[in-house]
Amino acid sequence: MISADLNIILPEILLAVFAMLGLLGAVYSSKDGLASPLLWATSAVFLAVAAWIGFTGEGVNIAFNGMFVDDAFSRFAKVAILVSAAAVLLMSEAYMSSRGILRFEYPVLVVLAVVGMMMMVSAGDLMALYMGLELQSLALYVVASLRRDSVKSTEAGLKYFVLGALSSGLLLYGASLVYGYAGTTLFSGIVQVAEEGVSLGLLFGLVFLMAGLAFKVSAVPFHMWTPDVYEGSPTPITAFFATAPKVAAMALFARVMHDAFGGAVADWQQIMALLSVLSMFLGAFAAIGQTNIKRLMAFSSIAHMGYALMGLAAGTVLGVQAMLVYMAIYVTMNVGTFAFILMMEKDGQPITDIGSLNMYAKREPTRALAMLVLLFSLAGVPPMLGFFGKLYVLRAAYEADLIWLAVAGVIASVIGAYYYLRIVFFMYFGEEPEEGLNGGKSVILSAMLLGSAAVMVFGIVNMFGVEGAAAMAAQTLVN
Amino acid sequence: MSLFILVALPFLGALLPGLMNSAGRSACAGVTFTVSLTAFIGLLTNLPSVLAGEVVTARVDWMPVLGLNFTLMLDGLGFFFALLILGIGLLIIAYGRNYLSREDNMGQFFTYLLLFQGAMVGIVLSDNVLLLLIFWELTSLSSFLLIGYWKHLPEGRQGARMALTVTGMGGLAMIGGMLILGQIVGSYDLSVILQNRELIQADPLYLPALILILLGCFTKSAQFPFHFWLPHAMAAPTPVSAYLHSATMVKAGIFLMARMWPVLSGTPEWFVIVTTAGLVTMCIGAVIALFKHDLKALLAFSTVSHLGLITMLLGTGTAFGAMAAMFHILNHATFKAALFMSAGIIDHEAHTRDIRRLGGLRTLMPVTFVIATLAALSMAGIPLLNGFLSKEMMLEEANHTVLFNVPWLVPVLATVGSVFSAAYCFRLIGHTFFGPVRDDYPAKPHDPPAGLWMPPAILVVLVVVIGVAPFLAEPFVKLVTASVLGGEAEVPKAYFKIWHGLVPALYMSIIATVGGLILLMVFKPALRIWDGAPRPEAKVIFEAIVEAAATLAQKLILPLHNGAFSRYAAIGSVAIIGAGFHAWSTGQVGPATRTAQAADPVAIAGWGMLVAATVGLVFLHRNRLLSLILIGIVGLMVSIGFVFFSAPDLAMTQFTVEVVTIILLLLALNFLPKTTPVESSVLRRVRDVAVAVAGGVATFGIAYHFLLRDAVTTPISEFHLANSYKGGGGTNVVNVILVDFRGFDTYGEIIVLGIAALLIYALTQSLLGGPVRARLLNRKPDQPRAGDMHPMMMVVLTRVIMPVVMMVGFYIFLRGHNEPGGGFIAGLIVSIGVVMQYMASGFNWASARLHYPYHGVIGAGVLVAGLTGIGSWFVNKPFLTSDFTYVRIPPFEKFELATAALFDVGVFLAVVGAVMLSLESFSRLARRAHEPETEHPMDIDPSRDVEDAKGAV
Repeated sequence: MISADLNIILPEILLAVFAMLGLLGAVYSSKDGLASPLLWATSAVFLAVAAWIGFTGEGVNIAFNGMFVDDAFSRFAKVAILVSAAAVLLMSEAYMSSRGILRFEYPVLVVLAVVGMMMMVSAGDLMALYMGLELQSLALYVVASLRRDSVKSTEAGLKYFVLGALSSGLLLYGASLVYGYAGTTLFSGIVQVAEEGVSLGLLFGLVFLMAGLAFKVSAVPFHMWTPDVYEGSPTPITAFFATAPKVAAMALFARVMHDAFGGAVADWQQIMALLSVLSMFLGAFAAIGQTNIKRLMAFSSIAHMGYALMGLAAGTVLGVQAMLVYMAIYVTMNVGTFAFILMMEKDGQPITDIGSLNMYAKREPTRALAMLVLLFSLAGVPPMLGFFGKLYVLRAAYEADLIWLAVAGVIASVIGAYYYLRIVFFMYFGEEPEEGLNGGKSVILSAMLLGSAAVMVFGIVNMFGVEGAAAMAAQTLVN
Repeated sequence: MSLFILVALPFLGALLPGLMNSAGRSACAGVTFTVSLTAFIGLLTNLPSVLAGEVVTARVDWMPVLGLNFTLMLDGLGFFFALLILGIGLLIIAYGRNYLSREDNMGQFFTYLLLFQGAMVGIVLSDNVLLLLIFWELTSLSSFLLIGYWKHLPEGRQGARMALTVTGMGGLAMIGGMLILGQIVGSYDLSVILQNRELIQADPLYLPALILILLGCFTKSAQFPFHFWLPHAMAAPTPVSAYLHSATMVKAGIFLMARMWPVLSGTPEWFVIVTTAGLVTMCIGAVIALFKHDLKALLAFSTVSHLGLITMLLGTGTAFGAMAAMFHILNHATFKAALFMSAGIIDHEAHTRDIRRLGGLRTLMPVTFVIATLAALSMAGIPLLNGFLSKEMMLEEANHTVLFNVPWLVPVLATVGSVFSAAYCFRLIGHTFFGPVRDDYPAKPHDPPAGLWMPPAILVVLVVVIGVAPFLAEPFVKLVTASVLGGEAEVPKAYFKIWHGLVPALYMSIIATVGGLILLMVFKPALRIWDGAPRPEAKVIFEAIVEAAATLAQKLILPLHNGAFSRYAAIGSVAIIGAGFHAWSTGQVGPATRTAQAADPVAIAGWGMLVAATVGLVFLHRNRLLSLILIGIVGLMVSIGFVFFSAPDLAMTQFTVEVVTIILLLLALNFLPKTTPVESSVLRRVRDVAVAVAGGVATFGIAYHFLLRDAVTTPISEFHLANSYKGGGGTNVVNVILVDFRGFDTYGEIIVLGIAALLIYALTQSLLGGPVRARLLNRKPDQPRAGDMHPMMMVVLTRVIMPVVMMVGFYIFLRGHNEPGGGFIAGLIVSIGVVMQYMASGFNWASARLHYPYHGVIGAGVLVAGLTGIGSWFVNKPFLTSDFTYVRIPPFEKFELATAALFDVGVFLAVVGAVMLSLESFSRLARRAHEPETEHPMDIDPSRDVEDAKGAV
């Protein structure tokens, strides 16, 4: 019995053991000297585990009496999490070591965060949910303030921690109300109770759970931490924040909503739609006035979460599928965009001001073109892949009779397009800067940037099969 | 040729010029020309079926889930536009080869051009609206690259930005419209959508769909109020302007309106919006064009004006209007492309496009003169040229159009537009080619080589041929019109003739021509009036809107995210309260199933103290010592609350924890300022009070509500009550839960506690090693120290009661299994006993007498607990399975031996170790920070005085 359970969570166990061994090994050897090899090893392990899960996973496996669920949905999310985390780790090596902040704790913490995320997307129980969420969050709080000698970085970590603790408290409050009024913490049990009608206690629990989860996906109005944390954290960490944790939180959101409250869509659809529309509009508006590209990406991520939530708000199979496709595309775009941002430096110093991109196309035509593709894709302009993501969620919302939401999404995307196109404009037509960016000759970063741009262009043929996998994942989740 | 190949050809061919860049300019142009020519011929192979009225289709499923399929169709309309795109494209390629200079990257240019061509062909051949959208935006993208091709021109920047922003946003808006349309019909295939006129027009979402789609069309085709971007995009190389901004891309919006004509037109909404926009655009464009001095700007505004004309014709919703529109598209494409190329030739040869610096080119550039003049006269609507014919038809249609119930409005405005249109055409001819030859041209103008004038010349031949023999174009235009109408209306019978008799349109034409000539004669004064008159500049307005949006974002939204934590917390709290309110107001509130208990005066008093302490805390929190004491009171009241609700274990734990934490906090406070600075304004505090009160009321409401209702399931406590003695051998359920039922949790918890203590130790340790150490050493307390730091009374008392405390701790530990108590509480009590020594006698004195390895104590605790758990493996039970038995050892009474007690020892040790380690860490800090204290515990010590006296003696 127990060995069967352990077999199902073997990937998670393996990663946890790897993290602990890495920690011990580094502490008792050359410490930060081991950071770089450890980082490479971590990336390799992530990719190996992703391949393992992706190629060998089959069917629905339930461990620990339903607390842990391994199904197509969780496997989809896990592969996305692992691959994006590996990519971000690889991208961060050069940046962090050249600034002396490549500590051995970094890869270890990322592994722990990833284990937490894998737990989150596989959670079949409120307690498993909380455990995964906290494991992830605690690791993230620490990496946010990894640059200990920078006030901004420590401030980012502290804010993230305090607000995160607030949201965790809220989530727990919600979870205990749900438990109190459903009599169980198992999603499979809650869903049966909820189908018979949502009592007031359960509704309170649901609402507070949603608020707590909305914080994790940084949906408006629970998004306040995002810009500061994105700006304050070292850029590779920001890249990490913008990718894997978003997938995990979104997948968890979907799981709770469908596995535990799938029979009560009407009770949460409006809240979800409201979160979605607020996020889309605030993200779009706030980004207009930004000059710091990291802050801009923070608001951009808020807006994108709004679109992903639109898929969830539909409350249908197509909606979940749309959300998954959207997240997969979003993560790929962000990896490329952050590879570009990581290359923005002048005389070895990182630059985050958008104005520094003036006439970038003249000096680096290839990279500028790749970034142009990514920005068009982020804006959702056809024929880039980003458009298909938007089309998916809009369609899902529309078919779920949320016409107003779909129309609002279109309008928000029109507003949002402005600030993405503004960067394109700077790169191609900006005024000649006195001194442009230089440096940033990393092969890895360039490869990530170009690769991600290429995916945005060539992915439109068949999305590299992501569509089918997402459809399967959505089918298993919603029934 | 298959439609797939037709669409794919330019895209695939786009690779060639880029790759062949090093092979030379002619090779690049040659290969581009060949690709386009192949596509052109391929298109012509489909002519027979189109002429037969068939619709050629091709279909491949792409993303069926999204309704997106790669379906293409070729009917008369698509054929017409594809013909224009590929035909004029060929001429532009030939022209561009000669136009671009040696420094320009020709391969890149032709790559972008072919990409654009492919996208345009894709638009006109799409049978799926989503596919159409993709090609639509692809034209925006490739046109952006083409406009940006000449990066060095500063005036190009603004233009490129506006072009990209306006058309890009319009395209996105159109996505919404197309989605609605597809949803209404249930298919995204145009061929299906076009069959469902009634369904679409009856749908309540018809109007939003119409507006969104028209937004896309109007922005693309530069219709009022989005007309301003087109002239500013003219900084692009002339071949680009000629191709994109007159012949093809800007007609994409028109094409779409024509495509959607069968299903969208004919409603009052369509008529009012489209006709008005077209009419206004036509007039504004014509007026502005007259006063532009840059040849290309003049042509740009004239293009805007003509696009308006076509839009107006489509807007009328009549079959005749549609036919006139199609005919004018053909004519406009020919004469306007010719004019742009002529302007390019003049720019190329004379090195200026400013009309004020030109004049007299008639004799210097005779070939160009003939070409440009014929094309311009056609644009002005002079008979025997094709522009005349379609303009007549337009005026005829305008005569029958009644807008806003004012019968004269449309005809008059159409005539006014025509007057200005004629005027700028005449000005173009007159001021550029006539007049005296000047001697201050930037370069000596002369006719270009044939490669440059041949392409426009070919177009002008068409202009004349159609103008003289309109019946040649008639069947073709009617074929196109038939496919525009899509069976919704009959193709009009009207014949294409030069002479229609003395109809009103002819008079209007005459007025326009004469009026144009008069305007040209009074051009100088008119220009002065124009220059002097205030007028809204669309570009300025656009920039103001953008600026306003940015300001709005910066002033309204960014201040929300100003980094102030309290603001974030406030917004978060308000959102949470809002969420709770939503749940409250939408949920079903059942009746209360319990009655409220009568309030006990003792409870009320306790509650009053709790509230008073909390409120006091809010007001006194700046004094940190006071606030700590008040927090202590709060904790105390909570503990009493546990007593009140018959939970002695909880109460005891809470009591002891309170004491320990308050003391530890007091110690920590030693190193911090004694007061909190004032940071918030009164206003902000009022806000915070409001948020806090709302949150408190909400929490109270929820609690009150739930307390009055029964739980839905049986509480878990019943299981524990039933099994505590049976299974765990203890009557104190709480303790049995801790050490038995949930022993594993407790085991984890003592580990966490130990880690926390280790962390405190590590933190203080690293503080002492770092730069903080110097600050600690030099630290001056912000308040004078109390005189009597270690009062004798306290020292004596604590020492006296210490053995008692230890005893109590031991007792509490032993009774724990059956009565309130246990290892956790006992550990805390023992710790308190020691902590008191630190408090009373000082760190130095206490530390000197208490140097146990606390790390080891914690470790021992965890180890004991762990080994107890492992012990159960030896009897083949899972980890931490507990067992108990009763023994009797005379002379004692029968008593119980439980493995749980051993486990409790571990808990006890871990707690003691953790508290003491934290204490020790603080004390180390304190000993560094303070003046080295004396070894003596008391400032006044009688025995010491005695010894001192002895020493003195």
